[in-house]
Amino acid sequence: MSGAFAISQSDKRPMYLQIMEQIKQRISVGDWTEGQSIPSIRQLAVDLQVSVITVKRAYLELEREGVIVTQQGKGSHVASTPGLGARLREQELKRHLEQASRIAALLGLRPTELEERLREAGDRISEKETI
Amino acid sequence: MKESIVGQLILKDLRLQREAILFAMAGGAAGLAIFEHGGVTAMFVGSIWFFVAMAVIACMLPIAAIVNERKKQNLAFVMSLPVSPMQYTTAKLISMVAMFLVPWLAMVAGAVLAIETRGLVPRGLIPLTVIYLLFPFVAFTLIGGAALVGESEGWAIAATVICNTSYSLAYFFLTQVPGLMVDTLKPAPVWSRTVLSIVGGEVAVILLMLALTFFLQSRKRDFI
Amino acid sequence: MTDVAIELNGVGKMYPFFSLSNIDLQVPQGQIMGLIGPNGAGKSTTIRILMGLVHQDCGDVQVLGHRMPAEQVAAKWDIGFVSEDMRLYDSMTLGWHMSFVQSIYVRWDAAYAQLLLRRFGLRAEQKIKGVSHGQRVKATLLLALARKPKLLVLDEPTTGLDPVARHEILRELTDVMADEGRSVLFSSHNTQDVEQISDTITFIDRGRIIDSMDKEVYLDRWRRLRLEVPWGVTLPALPGIIGVKQDGRLAVATANAFVPDLANAYESSGARVHSIENMTLEEIFVANVEHSREEVEA
Repeated sequence: MSGAFAISQSDKRPMYLQIMEQIKQRISVGDWTEGQSIPSIRQLAVDLQVSVITVKRAYLELEREGVIVTQQGKGSHVASTPGLGARLREQELKRHLEQASRIAALLGLRPTELEERLREAGDRISEKETI
Repeated sequence: MKESIVGQLILKDLRLQREAILFAMAGGAAGLAIFEHGGVTAMFVGSIWFFVAMAVIACMLPIAAIVNERKKQNLAFVMSLPVSPMQYTTAKLISMVAMFLVPWLAMVAGAVLAIETRGLVPRGLIPLTVIYLLFPFVAFTLIGGAALVGESEGWAIAATVICNTSYSLAYFFLTQVPGLMVDTLKPAPVWSRTVLSIVGGEVAVILLMLALTFFLQSRKRDFI
Repeated sequence: MTDVAIELNGVGKMYPFFSLSNIDLQVPQGQIMGLIGPNGAGKSTTIRILMGLVHQDCGDVQVLGHRMPAEQVAAKWDIGFVSEDMRLYDSMTLGWHMSFVQSIYVRWDAAYAQLLLRRFGLRAEQKIKGVSHGQRVKATLLLALARKPKLLVLDEPTTGLDPVARHEILRELTDVMADEGRSVLFSSHNTQDVEQISDTITFIDRGRIIDSMDKEVYLDRWRRLRLEVPWGVTLPALPGIIGVKQDGRLAVATANAFVPDLANAYESSGARVHSIENMTLEEIFVANVEHSREEVEA
């Protein structure tokens, strides 16, 4: 279940953030669905070969954000709020767009130029998909 | 808990020194053969052979079984087991004495038997032989004690040097004991008060050395 | 009684040229504690004291509820101890060592031992003297792991090992974590390993504990702030900053008690904060030691 997780130490971001992000990714692409039970803190720690405390922190933060729910004695599961996957995808898009704006500003692009680049990117992707 | 940890450690020591023990026994058996089947000269040579063999074992055994265990860092491994420093010391002293006693008893018994039965030399030599062969045993407890308590090769070697150079001195003193030498030429062994007190003294020193070693080990605050 | 696996209170030990003082340490059951510090800091001495091999001059030591060194035999039934300066008997095989340990411990798990032989790439018939450094370390660890002890005390378990061997050992250590009744204390120079699997980190330098806390909290307190300092601006001395290195107009401030206000304080003084970076445990290690050395020299 936690097979394709990859925690990298060369990634400068703290491990717990990496874990949180990868869990959110799973949910947003639909691998983990609303209400589905997920590995216990200890089990995920063992699988990822990281400390229990790191996973605990990740789960705590995720719970705070309403992404997962942990019940005493019953383990953890993805929050059953409908549309959670969509909401996470929405958040990811927002993050990417803000990042794009930041880089565009460094390049000195005007907003219309950024829009143009976005349209071009969209075209490239649909081309690839039709091939 | 399975069987006693002290017992397991003793067996471990016997297993580790197995080759050395067998070698010592082989040497002893060879010496004994000379003693049993040669002439008077052979018996003389044989007795020196015994003595040297025991003196060598007295030096090498502590080095092999005690000093090396520390030098080769095996001691940390042993102490990671559920054993206290005093249990380690007890097991070590028991296995050491056992490993020395086996060849030693065989040689002493063989020598005494040969003198007793073959009639080539006066049987009055028996008490002196016993006294003389006890020297390496005394040395062994001293060297073993130095190795255990001193925790280094240096101490063991110092003790070895002292003992090896003292044998001749000890023998000289024996020759000065009134009546002792004369009795060796008699046809029957003379267990005089002098002889018995010397033997008693040697045994007392052996026991004292073992007790002292035990005591000094118990005072240590840093075992490793 | 055994909510706490290891507890040291006010422990001290004096040697001619080195002393350990005021050591307070706690490892709750089910946790992994990583002990880091420069060479000669006192890690090995601390470990020897908690194993009962060295008698402390003052302070209390309790391991798995047993007072040390008096009750060391009772404690050692449930402890697996491997130290870097430990060696197995050269002339004997790994198989002999396995039988030897098995004859002493009831809880030897023979199936797990065989599994470890395979995982570690070891062969029971091999004599210890013919075996490489890495294999020897793994063999010694195997003897400790196969007993499934409640507490593992490891002094430098991955030092000098190739990446594959290190990975094999980390895997076994994290597998131990699956059982919340088992605990681990390990000292290591390998800050990556410590950072990855420890729940708590304890930092020792020159015989004293400098830090001992939850790893995530610890890592969170440290930041590198990269600043641009215009001419005429002096950087204020701020609490929570242990050091600033300035080269011309660029400066790097190291914070060991970071709060976002620190960045604001710098900005108000006229400096520009270019970036705020997390630090790896290795960077924290170096910063800590450099700082404490400077303090002594001052």
